[in-house]
Amino acid sequence: MTSERAVNIVMIEDDLGHARLIEKNIRRAGISNTVHHFLDGTSALRFLYEDAKGPVHNGPSLILLDLNLPDMSGTDILMRIKAEDSPLKRAPVVVLTTTDDKIEIQRCYDLGCNVYITKPVNYESFADAIKQLGLFLSVIQVPDPDATA
Amino acid sequence: VSGIRLSLEEMRSGRRGMLLGLQNSWPAYSAARRRLDEQIAAVESLTGDNPLQQANVRELRGEAHVLDATFRGTMPSLDRRFLLEEQVRADAGKRLTAIAERMLGEERRLLDEREAAQRASLQTFYLVLSGAGLLLLFVGSASIFVIMRYTRDLSGARDELEGLNTNLEGAVKVRTKDLQRANEEIQRFAYIVSHDLRSPLVNVMGFTSELEAAIKPLARLIEDADARDSTIVSDEARLAVHEDVPEALGFIRASTQKMDRLINAILRLSREGRRNITPSVVEITQLANTIADGIRHLIVDRGATVEVQADMPTVKTDRLALEQILSNLIENALKYLKPDRPGEIHVTARRELGRVLIAIADNGRGIDPRDHERIFDLFRRSGAQDQPGEGIGLAHVRTLAYRLGGTISVASELGAGAIFTIDLPQDYVGETEREA
Repeated sequence: MTSERAVNIVMIEDDLGHARLIEKNIRRAGISNTVHHFLDGTSALRFLYEDAKGPVHNGPSLILLDLNLPDMSGTDILMRIKAEDSPLKRAPVVVLTTTDDKIEIQRCYDLGCNVYITKPVNYESFADAIKQLGLFLSVIQVPDPDATA
Repeated sequence: VSGIRLSLEEMRSGRRGMLLGLQNSWPAYSAARRRLDEQIAAVESLTGDNPLQQANVRELRGEAHVLDATFRGTMPSLDRRFLLEEQVRADAGKRLTAIAERMLGEERRLLDEREAAQRASLQTFYLVLSGAGLLLLFVGSASIFVIMRYTRDLSGARDELEGLNTNLEGAVKVRTKDLQRANEEIQRFAYIVSHDLRSPLVNVMGFTSELEAAIKPLARLIEDADARDSTIVSDEARLAVHEDVPEALGFIRASTQKMDRLINAILRLSREGRRNITPSVVEITQLANTIADGIRHLIVDRGATVEVQADMPTVKTDRLALEQILSNLIENALKYLKPDRPGEIHVTARRELGRVLIAIADNGRGIDPRDHERIFDLFRRSGAQDQPGEGIGLAHVRTLAYRLGGTISVASELGAGAIFTIDLPQDYVGETEREA
């Protein structure tokens, strides 16, 4: 990523296997940024807003979000992040989920998600999609949260 | 009896008048005498029920004759026998009067008795009457009570019926709602299950691929080692890397791919159930021809013919759903032809009582009657498994047919072709309209 400060990748994904496969494939695309992985919404939100290493206090970040989480819906997290008064409202959010329901996709974009990707079941497609996401991540600009303060 | 007395008196006065030389008193005497006879006869008939009085009457009549004879006798020879006869006459008169008195007394007694009896019977009559009145009143009130109860029951039943009638619509609505809810729940369930099943499947497939990728360098390593010295690598390790692991991975991959297809089928069915139906007037002939043209190469490949009836009726339904139904059935017919005879597929349709029946008939291998229900179930197939497929097509067709408010049935014998008949409403009534 081209930002001066290293961009943290926050991955909120309840499935360990998926998380591992996503990380593997991002790495294969040449992304070496730190990936913080959270299995549930509560701990992810705590990291995002309160942790010293979290994006609010420590530089730009990009969020990979799964919609099916054990403790809350991914759209709830998306709403929190993209809320008017949120310090993270400009942070790019990539929704990465198995659901390809049209209504769900519309809802996510309405709530301000930046990219919506359906996880392909076929692994080759899955790996390709994640690699492309990695390449995408390597070229996009991520705003610094400090600028919003 | 009083009349008899009166006649006697008249007779007496008539005789007296004659005795006094009044010639014109003779007719009066005769009239009185006649009246006496009549009255005696009347009394006789009146007292017919009383033997005692009958005897009196007979005596009376006899005495009356005596009296009459005496009177008559006295009248012409009045002068001579006046004094002599006077005594006899008076005696007979007195006797007559006494008899009359006796009769009168008897009659009075009888009258009293009768009156008493009458009073008694009157009392009984009143008693019976009041009894009957009471009975009547009781029966009347009982019947009024019964009638009222019936009326109440009847009006209650009517009210209930009315209530039921008005509630029937509501009940139907509630049932429809329930069914829709249940259906939606099933759809949601299918959707969630298929989605949640997909998630682990991504892992299984993903890590299988990772393993396949990882086994390649290992295989190369073993080849390198073998090239240098064949003793470094054990036979077991070589077999594992070259055969066991790739074989296992191959099975895992095949199974997960199949599972993926099945899950996608469920997903598709659940989506189909949720898809909005947009009814429009569909020309069945045109639609069937379009479908046949679309798979022309397949038809030619199979050496079959598809004949579409030229003037099939129109139907107001969801075009896309009907297209999927027809193409599925036509493709199925092409798929399961009998190899030893050229395939002939006929698409026909007819209108029947507000419904449209579309039939797809083939001369293919047919379906065992035992499987006629099964083939519409998801993942179930019939006959020789020599054609690719997951057992989804007909399940999909049936779901679509139900969705359009129709049904599908099959008539077939093994080896004798099959006729699939879709029964659709002439005009699709939308779910929202059905609710209203």
